[in-house]
Amino acid sequence: MRTRALSILVAFAAAAATACGQPGGGPDVVNVYSARHYDSDRYVYAAFTEATGIRVNLIEADGDLMIERIRADGARSPADVIVTVDAGRLYRAQAAGLFAQEHYGVIAPGVPEHLRDTDGYWVGFAKRARVIVYSRERADASQIANYADLADPRWAGRVCVRSSSNVYNQSLLAALVERMGEEAAEAWARGVANNLARPPQGGDTDQIRAVAAGECDVALVNHYYLARLANSAEAADRAVAASVGLIFPDQDGEGTHVNISGAGVAANAPNPEAARAFIAFLFTEDAQRAFAELTSEYPVLETVTWSNEPLAALGGFREDEMNVARLGERAETAQRIFDRAGWP
Amino acid sequence: MALTASAPARERGRLSGLDPAPFAAAAALIAATPLFAVAAVAAFGDWSGGYLTHIAGTRLPVYLWNTLIVALVAAACAGAGGAVSAWIVARCDFPGRKIFEWALVLPLAVPAYVAAYAWLDITQTAGPVQGFLREASADGWTSLVPVVRGPVGAGFVFSFTFYPYVYLLARDAFAGQSADAYDAARTLGHGPVSAFRRAALPLARPAIAAGLALVVMEALADYGAVAHLGAPTLTAGVVRAWSGAGSVADAARLALLLVFIVLLVFGAERMQRRRARASSASGRRRPARRVRLTGWLALAAIGVCVTPLLLGFAIPLARLGWLALHAPVAQGLGQAFLNSVTLAGLAAVLAAVLGLGAAYALRSGRPFAVFAARAAGLGYAAPGAVAAVGVIAILAAMQGWLDQLWSGLGFTHFPILLTGGIGALIFAYLSRFAAAAIGPCESALQRVTPALDGAARTLGAGPTEVSARVHWPLVSGGVATAALLVFVEVIKELPATMILRPFNFDTLAVIAHNYAHDERLGQAAAPSVLLALAALGPMIWVARRIAREPVARTLS
Repeated sequence: MRTRALSILVAFAAAAATACGQPGGGPDVVNVYSARHYDSDRYVYAAFTEATGIRVNLIEADGDLMIERIRADGARSPADVIVTVDAGRLYRAQAAGLFAQEHYGVIAPGVPEHLRDTDGYWVGFAKRARVIVYSRERADASQIANYADLADPRWAGRVCVRSSSNVYNQSLLAALVERMGEEAAEAWARGVANNLARPPQGGDTDQIRAVAAGECDVALVNHYYLARLANSAEAADRAVAASVGLIFPDQDGEGTHVNISGAGVAANAPNPEAARAFIAFLFTEDAQRAFAELTSEYPVLETVTWSNEPLAALGGFREDEMNVARLGERAETAQRIFDRAGWP
Repeated sequence: MALTASAPARERGRLSGLDPAPFAAAAALIAATPLFAVAAVAAFGDWSGGYLTHIAGTRLPVYLWNTLIVALVAAACAGAGGAVSAWIVARCDFPGRKIFEWALVLPLAVPAYVAAYAWLDITQTAGPVQGFLREASADGWTSLVPVVRGPVGAGFVFSFTFYPYVYLLARDAFAGQSADAYDAARTLGHGPVSAFRRAALPLARPAIAAGLALVVMEALADYGAVAHLGAPTLTAGVVRAWSGAGSVADAARLALLLVFIVLLVFGAERMQRRRARASSASGRRRPARRVRLTGWLALAAIGVCVTPLLLGFAIPLARLGWLALHAPVAQGLGQAFLNSVTLAGLAAVLAAVLGLGAAYALRSGRPFAVFAARAAGLGYAAPGAVAAVGVIAILAAMQGWLDQLWSGLGFTHFPILLTGGIGALIFAYLSRFAAAAIGPCESALQRVTPALDGAARTLGAGPTEVSARVHWPLVSGGVATAALLVFVEVIKELPATMILRPFNFDTLAVIAHNYAHDERLGQAAAPSVLLALAALGPMIWVARRIAREPVARTLS
């Protein structure tokens, strides 16, 4: 009995192994594990292959699972490049030893210091800002300029925001913890939770729509969701975008909170040269423009010009220049604060 | 017959057929090992963070409360809808019955999170329904629109999308029922409804309970829908412990708590089956005759069948389709369709074999075999993402072991298990969905009474012949149902598919998720509709098989 079960297992393992082609080798291939799944990325990958002749092998998966997978694969991992959509995940992957140290000042010259890891484990290539959206009809824009205002009792029952399980809320609170300490950050989270117009539901787009529909007067969202609505082929979406205004918070203080999409060369990369070439390509004018024009993210290179009318219409802003690595360090504290503050 | 079932000890010797123990052992090994890996992660992970005490003092009560509400609402609605529609389809005749027979399974092909995204979009303040009312200056009415959100909303969404589990198993049970009990009740002056409730329903209770157990397990393990609808259940807590606090070990610990709850559900279902068994032994069989419905009754029957189809299938997909009109079409759908069908087909066949083997093992009553088959049911209980971590851990351990073995033999490294092909995926699917295959096989096999085996053997049939000529015709419908369930499960499966797939390999579920997750519902429409279409063929095929099955007559 036992031997039979074992033989089934071994047969299964062997079948699985032989069914597997062995990807990963060769100088003309780069294996990318990405937590992003945007059309802009497809465009960039294709452009990279065209420019360099290096084929892109791609696995897209959510950040946490991806980290577990690469960690479990260990030294045998075929990953060359790891891409995530959140600095906290980059930090976590780094803590798990998944990144190699590189000279990103050379690979990606011109990236501001606060958007890359000081030890050279990863580098940000596109930015997203956490902004406040308000109803042009029912909210007085002069009364709201900072994240802190969202906790003001003046907005009781008028704030829409998604669940605190969302990574962008977590990274914002992590930034606030770093900025003003745990206690003040907790008081802020409590204040916002008390001001909610409804229990958190849906995504960022749903919060913007709720403001337009009159369910709440202000909402906390990522900037590109508004740009996307303004870019929509559907008139109703454009009407939603037109009925709300956007505020880049904390312009007189530390600046608006930004998070990054970032990449790094994997620690056990079988094709490190190709990996470096791939990451360098993310900072070409072509790629940086693609992120701005196809995904409405902000390029990290200030020098790049792009044309995306609704994104440009959001206006310029001053961003928080705290190193985004801090977001990862403070992530767990931030989450516990959300739990205690009763922000669902 | 359907329910006289499992063999008392003294009859065991007379059971025949294939030796089921290896199948049960394989099923148990595949299904339970990832869960043991999760337990190992939980036990040996870092305990220093104090996360569990933190969460127990803050969010855990809410998680548990939501879990309870979601499970109750889902079970109540799915149970009622599934059982009533199954009985109508199995025992009545009315216009459209043959279409409803398979169409009622369709909502199972819509991933719960897709239905959740669509329903919240339709009903929320900013949605089309309330928007229309506002435009029609009927603002007062908007407050009457029930917004699908929170634990009750999530429970409803699960009942629309998962009731086919109950429907499938109950339909099989009703179709196989003798008409005696129902007719007797009618003769004694009960109306059709009362006769259904007092006679037909109790006999189908084990099947309904098995279906409900699947519904509840699915609802408890779901993450996408509850997160979107703002109904954080324990599974949301598991994911949050992982994504927010970054602790896989704490996530695993919460997941084990969830598995424990599911075990309780399982246990309740077992007890239910045992009790029902005692009450249902019956001698003579008479072929079932369908009740002919005309006029208002026929209309009512059609209404009962159309409602769940509208809620679980037509309305959400129509909403997505409407949004799709203004969205660019997703790329690579053709290849993704082929990938999905290939994976689901392979996994369905293998799972059906394992499930049937495990069901035989249960029937044999031998302690080891029964234990192994029960253990195989566990894989279903963990949330998908956590189960995927278990599979990753197992495969990584196996890889290390094989690498060592190989280099010890003087070769270089063993080929990579994880990345190369679909072997790892199939393993993950089988480990997670073996339970879904065991249930239908087990309840089908209960039709094969030991007396039948005895009779066949007396007439000179060998064990193989008994299996092929006596058992197979009786159980093939159940096995086909099992394969169908696994097919549909696999085609919807997300976390394991996402993380274990080979390079450049998309499935429909992955594409649908990527767009929906990125709040581009319109572009999620095409892959979601294709998902349903991919499942359509197998659904019709299984429905035809079961309709053709000569169960009641053969056994009379």
